[in-house]
Amino acid sequence: MSEPLSKIPDGTRYYFGREARLRRHVEELVMSVFDGWSYEEITTPTVDYYSLFEHGMGSAQAHRAFRFTDVDGRLLALRPDVTSGVARAAVTMFAERDRPLRLCYAAQVFRQQPQSHAEWRRESTQTGCELLGANTSAADMEVLAIAFEILHRLGLDSDHLITLNDVGVFNGIVAPLEIDPQTRDELRQLVDSRNAADLERFLDSRKLAADERGALAQLTQLSGKRATLDHARKVITNAQSSEALDRLDRLWQMIESLNLQKHFEIDLGDLAKLDYYTGLTFNIYVNGAAVRIGSGGRYDGLTAAFGNSEPAVGFVLDLDALTTVLLARAKDPNFAPEPDRSVQPITNPDPGLLFGEARTKRAEGERVLISFEE
Amino acid sequence: MQKLTIAIAKGRLQTESLGLLARADFNVSREMLESRRLAVEDETGRYRFIFVKPADVPVYVEHGIADCGIVGRDVLLESEADVLQRLTLEIGACRMVVAAPSDLTLSSYGMLRVATKYPRVTARHFGSRGLSVEIIQLSGSVEVAPLLGLADCIVDLVETGRTLRENGLRIVEVIAESTARLIVNRASYHLKAEAVASLIDSLGKAMSQEM
Repeated sequence: MSEPLSKIPDGTRYYFGREARLRRHVEELVMSVFDGWSYEEITTPTVDYYSLFEHGMGSAQAHRAFRFTDVDGRLLALRPDVTSGVARAAVTMFAERDRPLRLCYAAQVFRQQPQSHAEWRRESTQTGCELLGANTSAADMEVLAIAFEILHRLGLDSDHLITLNDVGVFNGIVAPLEIDPQTRDELRQLVDSRNAADLERFLDSRKLAADERGALAQLTQLSGKRATLDHARKVITNAQSSEALDRLDRLWQMIESLNLQKHFEIDLGDLAKLDYYTGLTFNIYVNGAAVRIGSGGRYDGLTAAFGNSEPAVGFVLDLDALTTVLLARAKDPNFAPEPDRSVQPITNPDPGLLFGEARTKRAEGERVLISFEE
Repeated sequence: MQKLTIAIAKGRLQTESLGLLARADFNVSREMLESRRLAVEDETGRYRFIFVKPADVPVYVEHGIADCGIVGRDVLLESEADVLQRLTLEIGACRMVVAAPSDLTLSSYGMLRVATKYPRVTARHFGSRGLSVEIIQLSGSVEVAPLLGLADCIVDLVETGRTLRENGLRIVEVIAESTARLIVNRASYHLKAEAVASLIDSLGKAMSQEM
């Protein structure tokens, strides 16, 4: 049975009209904010070696890429993320450049299986930034400030929340357990889904030590503002976790000094993509979107895979999800309508005069619409 | 406080869910118990309840149409939905089991044919033990499949075990214990944190009163 030519593949779509205009507007706005913070635009190859993404994202995530073979038999992939390519560029092409290095991008990424059933797209547009060569809390704060400015400029001030965590908290708790990677990932998932009941059952079955049990159970519930950190310190006392809590504390102090605490929250139970990150992690939620519309964090280990280890922090926004939220708002009658885009067609039987007039109008910055009717 | 939409699984779990909500001081109206309407608002206007098929509860919650949902763990295991399972509710207790005619030994088969409404749970269970199975997906009356020769054994949900016995089946293995869960959409958990926390709190209190 042959597929009709009218069909388009699952997880792909067209963009046009108001949505396409809005999408371009959002992309330009985001890129202008990056430019405003002195981030330089970079475009990575759309097709790259699969091994790049395996190193950059970890094999579980890279596995979601569309893969095919090069003429010499090497495995290629349609770019499932941009960060891997940027990290490689930083330690190769830009090895001699002064640090910190600030890079940003807007590009399509392709993934065969979505993370959540609510994220149905297999092609999506990511826009993001990476700050390489700085490992201070101030560097973490810089990317958070940029993320906040973007949401602010999009008019989402009162409708978003950025949740913060540090993977060191969880890693510090599980380190003394000496468990294999698979068990560790099961634990991570149970905490990440805030599933205290199954977590307890799982710990029972593995006969894990009492100290860590209490701490892990607490992680499923520890979210909120500054007081969360004080609660956490009472139940989590190992050195690695304490350092992570100190880092979050420093960051939270900066957030408070900027009076932005309304827009941020600490959530020690959020443990998505653990293996990739080495310190701060954050997720961006916006009213009207069922899944996070952005995420980021510190990944000091990533560039090591490309030959030279250096600290890095960054984030990525899902441009399409963001556009969907804004489009739903734009349809709200209370929202300012899109300016009138109608234009009076021009016509003239003499093509010289017709295009002369059109060019004059274009030179004045006007939109023109040529009519071929006589 | 922001308004919450709560999806409730229709059928087996519905009455128990509403009973728990009533004990948690929710105003469970006659309308919610008897009406055929699929969306009902409570009197305070703080909650909207929607009644959907069990398998659809995680769908509504994952897509953020409902902020929270009450649904059995069996459904969550099968759906693999990316939702938060913030609270275990002490209702709807049952077991997900492998059941087979009494003369069957699983390991003696080169290839088992398994009839089930839960193909993913089945594939995971047998896959983790390296057994090859052919999964035959049915939408109901799974117990009859071995009797009629459609399958060697079944994976299904069992409350009392009576239906199994009546069809000449016995429990071979328990895959998972299941009770109802309060699930929460990831974005709602943060953006409606206060309302969600208050719901968790009152359900938690209602359960501890019973003990």
